[in-house]
Amino acid sequence: METKSKILIVDDEEVVLDSCTRMLESGNYQVATASDANRGLELVREFGPDLVFVDLKMPGKSGLELLEDVRTVDATIVPIVITGYATVSSAVDAMKKGAYDFLPKPFTPDEFRLITQRGLEKRKLVLETLALRREKEILRRNFAAIVSHELKAPLSAVQQSLYVLAGELAGHVTEDQESRLARMKSRIDGLLKLIQTWLRVISADIGKIKESFRPVSVQLAISNAIENVLPLAARKNIEIVSAVPDRAVCVYGDEGTLGEALVNILSNAIKYSHAGSKVLVAAEETEARVSISVSDKGVGISQEDLPFIFDGFYSGKSAPDAERGCGLGLAISRRIIEAHNGTISVESEFGEGSTFVIRLPRLEGAPQTPPSENAGIREEAPKGGLE
Amino acid sequence: MSSGTRLLIIDDDPDFVDAIRSILEGAQYEVDAAYNPKDGFHALQSQHYDLLLLDIMMGRGAEGIMLARKLRKDPKLSQIPVLIITGIREQIAFLFPDQPVHPHLVPVDELVEKPVEPGLLLERVNALLQAAEARKARSSQRENPW
Repeated sequence: METKSKILIVDDEEVVLDSCTRMLESGNYQVATASDANRGLELVREFGPDLVFVDLKMPGKSGLELLEDVRTVDATIVPIVITGYATVSSAVDAMKKGAYDFLPKPFTPDEFRLITQRGLEKRKLVLETLALRREKEILRRNFAAIVSHELKAPLSAVQQSLYVLAGELAGHVTEDQESRLARMKSRIDGLLKLIQTWLRVISADIGKIKESFRPVSVQLAISNAIENVLPLAARKNIEIVSAVPDRAVCVYGDEGTLGEALVNILSNAIKYSHAGSKVLVAAEETEARVSISVSDKGVGISQEDLPFIFDGFYSGKSAPDAERGCGLGLAISRRIIEAHNGTISVESEFGEGSTFVIRLPRLEGAPQTPPSENAGIREEAPKGGLE
Repeated sequence: MSSGTRLLIIDDDPDFVDAIRSILEGAQYEVDAAYNPKDGFHALQSQHYDLLLLDIMMGRGAEGIMLARKLRKDPKLSQIPVLIITGIREQIAFLFPDQPVHPHLVPVDELVEKPVEPGLLLERVNALLQAAEARKARSSQRENPW
């Protein structure tokens, strides 16, 4: 380490301060001392220590109070208590108040240096964690822009040129060449879609969809979603059976993203089903909620995978290799459903199949009246133009 | 109505500009290109264009939006139809935290996503030009627009 670690020792006994200072002399440390809590606090501010040793029993302001002050000044400073009583209970009290470790008097130089080392390592970890957390936040915030521009732009340019090329070559290429062009286009399309999807998962602004909330018919959403996945089902000869109430049930939401979530869940059910089996879609209403369940008799999800399936980029080990996706569908679905103040859950038996349940707050009364908590954002997008 | 119609593309990606340009030129439009907002604005001020194709994410951020705002304030340029071409449909929303997802940047604009199918591009360009033509006809018919 280039810079010296700063260590502050606060103890009312001169002899402790002196001996501690001596014990650290051989190491790469910068040491400051204070003989009472008030001076100690001043030094916490001026000296900016990495590590503070605080004697618990001092005349005037107590060590415990000083510990709390240290925390408010800079919570990353690692506090260690020195306790003359060597009573476990006072040390435990201090640890509860945030002390990292304790040093019972009397102590040997080795003990002291060991605890100092440990404390400094802790400090390093705390700082690293903070830096990482900050970095992660910056990344998350900037990622949308970075990804969209840096990854999408070149791909879009390639795709755009392919469109032109395909147009220019139309009629002058063999069937094989034409199919190669088509495959290139479709692979790039896939990649562009993946980036787009990824952006949606990480972008903080999925809450934006709340602005376009309006009453959505659950029956309609379900039948649209089923229609969307029919070709996929047909390929595996899977029958989709739907059981929805006759009475119109509405939720307050965004039709597009709700549909996306349903399609994701349904396509998963189909993907993980055995050919020729059935997928059941059911909707039920209670007084306050609407639940939509999608059940399959497919491969199921193993207990070890189950807790992670709604996290991004998790594609279960139990998935048939050919069906393994990018692991984003469920993560997106969860974000969509949560933005609708709903929940999504799963029950699954490995080898038996899975049931996903989406629960959404039911919209009561006249479909034109949004729930009061959304009244403030009822403004609709201006008419016209951008569809 | 293509021939003699002048279009300007402002986009900082030369490859993308090339592709778009060849689609438009294939439909007999006259096409100029500028590769940054500054040159683009300069071109708009010094020559007449019937339509602007504008990229949003240029330079160090959404400089295309800055340019659109400048256009809106400019009495001479505020009526030019703008086709916004962007790779970041959803992310535009970030720039307008309190506005609906697709704010209009200038009085007349349309938005397409990159990459854009040649057919769709030509359709949008044509529609914007015709709408502009119709507006012009209307306002010259009436002395007092409102």
